[in-house]
Amino acid sequence: MENRTAQIQNITYDDGIVKKFMLATIVWAGVAFTVGLLIALQLAYWKFNFNLEWLTFGRLRPLHTNAAIFAFAGNAIFAGIYHSTQRLCKTRLFSDALSNIHFWGWQLIIVAAAITLPLGLSQAKEYAELEWPIDIMITLVWVVFAVNFFGTLARRREKHLYVALWFYIATIITVALLHIVNSIEIPVAFMQSYPVWAGIQDALVQWWYGHNAVAFFLTTPFLGLMYYYVPKVVNRPVYSYRLSIIHFWALIFIYIWAGPHHLLYTSLPDWAQNLGMVFSIMLWAPSWGGMINGLLTLRGVWHLVRTEPIVKFFVGALTFYGMVTFEGPLLSIKSISSVGHYTDWIIGHVHSGTLGWNGFLIFGIFYYLVPKLWKTELYSKKLANQHFWIGLTGVLFYYISMVTAGITQGLMWRAIDPKGQLVYPDFIETVTRIIPLYWVRALGGSLYIVGYILFVYNIVKTIKSAPASQSDTVVEYAAPAKSEQITSPEQGHRKLEGMATVFSILAFIAVLVGSLIEIYPTLSLQKYLNPEQMTEPYTALQLAGRDIYTKEGCYLCHSQMIRQLPDDVLRYGPASTIEESMYDHPFQWGSKRTGPDLARVGKKYPNLWHFRHMLNPRDITPNSIMPNYYWLAENNTDFFILRKKVSVMKMLGVPYNDNMLANADRLAEDEAKIIAEDLEKQGAPKGLERKEIVALIAYLQSLGQKAKVAAPVAPQK
Amino acid sequence: MKEGLKYFTDTHLTSIGLLLFFTFFVGIVFWVFRKGSKNYYNQSAQMPLEDDL
Ligand code: HEC
Repeated sequence: MENRTAQIQNITYDDGIVKKFMLATIVWAGVAFTVGLLIALQLAYWKFNFNLEWLTFGRLRPLHTNAAIFAFAGNAIFAGIYHSTQRLCKTRLFSDALSNIHFWGWQLIIVAAAITLPLGLSQAKEYAELEWPIDIMITLVWVVFAVNFFGTLARRREKHLYVALWFYIATIITVALLHIVNSIEIPVAFMQSYPVWAGIQDALVQWWYGHNAVAFFLTTPFLGLMYYYVPKVVNRPVYSYRLSIIHFWALIFIYIWAGPHHLLYTSLPDWAQNLGMVFSIMLWAPSWGGMINGLLTLRGVWHLVRTEPIVKFFVGALTFYGMVTFEGPLLSIKSISSVGHYTDWIIGHVHSGTLGWNGFLIFGIFYYLVPKLWKTELYSKKLANQHFWIGLTGVLFYYISMVTAGITQGLMWRAIDPKGQLVYPDFIETVTRIIPLYWVRALGGSLYIVGYILFVYNIVKTIKSAPASQSDTVVEYAAPAKSEQITSPEQGHRKLEGMATVFSILAFIAVLVGSLIEIYPTLSLQKYLNPEQMTEPYTALQLAGRDIYTKEGCYLCHSQMIRQLPDDVLRYGPASTIEESMYDHPFQWGSKRTGPDLARVGKKYPNLWHFRHMLNPRDITPNSIMPNYYWLAENNTDFFILRKKVSVMKMLGVPYNDNMLANADRLAEDEAKIIAEDLEKQGAPKGLERKEIVALIAYLQSLGQKAKVAAPVAPQK
Repeated sequence: MKEGLKYFTDTHLTSIGLLLFFTFFVGIVFWVFRKGSKNYYNQSAQMPLEDDL
């Protein structure tokens, strides 16, 4: 124990990169919200797509979700992490060059997404729609971020890692794992690929990813930010540091298992469904532990809620976090899922999470950071207060309207009269009933945007009032004499926390355990398949049609998974089997029924019905809200690429024979001719055989027709 | 061993998961309440508040 006198060092923090990420957050938030409002309006009144293919719901919905998650929340996370990590580690970020590559690389990814998604270049897996070249870019930029972050940790002057940093570490590691596993795909063309996973495998991997995108992109980093900024703003330590540690480990351990709650009553094996349900329900406890820890940090300073808009936003965010994490486990209970799944209830649920929890936390942090970093005062507290109230009203309108719409529609779908018949056999009846609520939702979204505009105005005014010469924050750091450093009684413990590597490995193991146990059994899909019900692969033309289906984002309004529920079976036919989707790369089970399930739509209607319906759904169903797809009758199918597609499918295990491999394009043309002739005979225009619509019709007519035995699964009870 | 494994089905994965979790959870709770940790945690909790920048 030497007793040196304290040494003074100057540390210059990199504030520039934090400011850049903050400005990017503000800009992309506008895009995410506006696109969201546009597609919300399209469900209320279909003409809001202006009859342009790039603006249809199926193309723009992925843009909305990607912009909200990766652009709005993503940039905000990076800003907060880079700001707080420097201060918690008492060091500048590891490398200015890496920081900038991270920033510009991420913006490039977002711009690429904003261009490719409206063009229909999509992998058709929710929140993972971006095609393989962009997937590779994401991986590279994420590695840059990781190196920069861990490099900073390695250089820190503080011995210990504050709990916020734990959450950041778990985020970086787990997001990398999720992204890589879910995006394993084989390219077919420059912007097209097929995932290696198929059917239930793909479903399980996708929802393991999807659910944990919520967990490790929209929850853990935000909890880390909460543990730093809430104490900081109210100037008191977190209520219980012990609780934060228990919160951390329990949360990351449990979250990773919860994915299958998106697949209840589907053909996913029961054990996986139960696993997902049990862990989802348990998730309630650590989530509330975190919320309580955050809220009780305000003990003794509750009066700030009345006066400080920042504290209002924080309390609002934590309250929404509590609500959402209560509702989530509830929705994971099988009987509640049977009503809520596929309906707008889920849409309401996720928006109270993103708008209420993530959005409000971000606004609160930004109202705190902008004046600090630009070395000035917030332009108007009053405006910030108004932002809070208008935003809150917006989220509540949104949430209440969607939960009402979801429960209403869910109950209508399942209503069965005493004779055992559906009370509302016409699907469209259940749609028109909730249209008024779609308008209320659009109003809620608009209010939230009004609040956002006030926010932008306030921030711009604040920055304008800042002194012209801006410099990075410099702090004097008095390196404490060794004997004054925080020491714990146990050396073992200090080692654990002192070593970010060991800690990261432990966190990695915690998420790996659940992932492996859950996904491993389905890797050998074979054992779940009934050899007597094997499915025939798609013909080449059907495959071409399927790619149009995924390109147009039909899966965002239509499911292809008839659940093992009496009302599902009555409405759509025998429950879907594992075999039926065994060759589906990617699976198209869907998560929302804005339109009816299509798993057994094949042969239900004549070809001409589909032709007319696709060109103008209102020709057939007057009140339909499905977009017109007139360009499908104008664009040509790419027959030439089919041989490549078939060979990639073969590589992935789909049993195509040599004739198919060699002549896929010709076989498809022959099949197209037959359909085109039939259409012509029924009165459709001539010369359709090369058009995309014919391929799409071939695909639609094959749905539910491929399994050798359409196994009648007895409805439960 | 082989005999035992014969009775293992995927259904048991849920129980294994739960067992793992509870062991892990109890371990952590004991860990954070170990003797003499209080002072250390109190100090850690102060970390964000040390500067005003
Ligand atoms: C905005 C949501 C939306 C999108 C996107 C959408 N649909 Fe629909 N679809 C509906 C609705 C609502 C109905 C029910 C009303 C009707 O018959 O038009 C429907 C009905 C259908 C039906 C009739 C099902 C039956 O059993 O009667 C088919 C087939 C269909 N859609 C195919 C498609 C295809 C193919 C795509 C993609 C190119 C697509 N839909 C995209 C909303 C959508």
